[in-house]
Amino acid sequence: MQLRTNESRLVAMAVNGAISQPSLRYPGYTLDSQGVGSVLPGMSGVVYNARVGDPAFGWAADHVEPGVSIANSDPAPDMALHYLTCMGNRAIVISGMAKGAEGIVTGEHARILVDFAPDTNDLLCVGDTIQIIAYGRGLLLEDFPQIEIKKMSPRLLHNMGITVSADGKHIRVPVTMELPPRIMGSGAELNSEFVDQDLMSGDRDLMAQLGIDQMKLGDIVVIPDADHHYGRGYRKGAAAISLCIHGDSVMTGHGPGILTLMTATDSVIEWVIDPNANIANYLNIRENV
Amino acid sequence: MSARNNTDKLICVSVMGQIASPGFPGLPAEPYRLDSDGRAFLLPTYGGIVYNVSVGDSAYGWLADCIHPGVSISLKDENGNRGLNLLACVGNTAMVMSGDAKGAKGVVTGKSGRFSEHVILHFSPADREKMAIGDKINIKACGVGMTLADHPDVKLKSCSPELVDGLEVTTGNNGSLNVPVTAVIPPHLLGAGAGLTSEGGSLHIQTQDRAEIARLGLDQLRLGDIVALEDFDSSWNHGYLRGAIGIGVIGQGDSPRSGYGPGVTLVMTSMKGGINPVVTAGVNIKEVFNLQA
Repeated sequence: MQLRTNESRLVAMAVNGAISQPSLRYPGYTLDSQGVGSVLPGMSGVVYNARVGDPAFGWAADHVEPGVSIANSDPAPDMALHYLTCMGNRAIVISGMAKGAEGIVTGEHARILVDFAPDTNDLLCVGDTIQIIAYGRGLLLEDFPQIEIKKMSPRLLHNMGITVSADGKHIRVPVTMELPPRIMGSGAELNSEFVDQDLMSGDRDLMAQLGIDQMKLGDIVVIPDADHHYGRGYRKGAAAISLCIHGDSVMTGHGPGILTLMTATDSVIEWVIDPNANIANYLNIRENV
Repeated sequence: MSARNNTDKLICVSVMGQIASPGFPGLPAEPYRLDSDGRAFLLPTYGGIVYNVSVGDSAYGWLADCIHPGVSISLKDENGNRGLNLLACVGNTAMVMSGDAKGAKGVVTGKSGRFSEHVILHFSPADREKMAIGDKINIKACGVGMTLADHPDVKLKSCSPELVDGLEVTTGNNGSLNVPVTAVIPPHLLGAGAGLTSEGGSLHIQTQDRAEIARLGLDQLRLGDIVALEDFDSSWNHGYLRGAIGIGVIGQGDSPRSGYGPGVTLVMTSMKGGINPVVTAGVNIKEVFNLQA
């Protein structure tokens, strides 16, 4: 059964940002779960060697943002960049040596994360302007209006292998893994229209036991018993289909960043485990992830 | 055996705040927050002098969002407010230093976190009547640096010597620290505040799933109750860790928002499970500090 959407009525609109400079505060230390400080890269800038499809764990980094991180220095346009940009949207370099190159939105953290081909990354400079064709806000499934869709482009929705059950009452979404609600941490204090919520990776034995340490950047995952409609909270029977957008953290209460894509409070969303459920595959970003 | 501590070596230092005004976002003057079902609400929230909610009252049922019982203070200078929020400890004494309530004595009962960063104080209802927003309140801050000699794995935070004494904590036969609590909060019900600092601020019980809260009897919690946090390590930030355990005070009331509910001010934590919470009815700082409401 085909997924029927309202995408013919969605508005496509330009928003833009500039490639951000990594920044640290004196004295630069991040404390780990044992209280030991270290200086680690991760956020902002052009990250050349951590890309969607690569492991989310194991980098000598904190909250690594794969690819290119962009922000708008004017607060109101920056919020528009955050609220209107959807995963899988097209991004176009409009200034600098890589002018005209095209990339794909792969995440939203404190900045918007965009994947470009490695050859393009080599030509990008901090400050270059990137324009996004924001398209997806308001998206819904005509036959499942009780499912809230957030920050998902129609392109991603149609490419992530969603199927409808024979009785037409459920959708089934491929995911790489389930995340237990008790490990969902930093970001609970924010509304769910803004950025992500970190899974808490501090219990390393549990991460290994559940295979969560095998997560890749760009993985589609599910959090059972999580309602992400108007915040991110525990609610028995709800579910949130989400995307891994940034890498692990050494900080207590932090870990890979999990961004909401769809949520429902009844059992309409089902899932099936599929190790290939990664946006690098779905959006043709890389082969064989 | 009562727990030996190093209180003779602790510094007692002044930190000052002013009674904080309630605040709302500016233009376009959209004052609403959304509850967990997306409905807009407009209710009193952090700050101000709260005349009719005190430590000892229920944490639930108020038409408010994370209400602070009693009086909330902060300092406009950001660094100074950090000092206030970090050094003030639950049980420290406070005195009004300006205005008509000058000389009135109060007690620190809690702290609030990201987006407000207040220290919450109990004063008698009669003293609250004489206070005004902006009045200066000085706290004799004492407690940061406190350790328990026989419990090196237990970290004390926002915890005054008076709270340790008043709770009558003991060292058990197995060497762990026995702490009386009214309830134990499971980790799947801990929400906003995870990943944020545990040296001040708050970690919230999340109450969207009312059936789950009622099932565990957590709807009976009172402001000021001492509670345990199961499988949560608050040694540096707040975060999930099997076997770790925290102790906190219910410092703020319930919330309609997703991820929120009564706010807990963390006072003790052990990464290695060296705290044994002993569930005991009615463990509340109102009785511990003999507060008049």
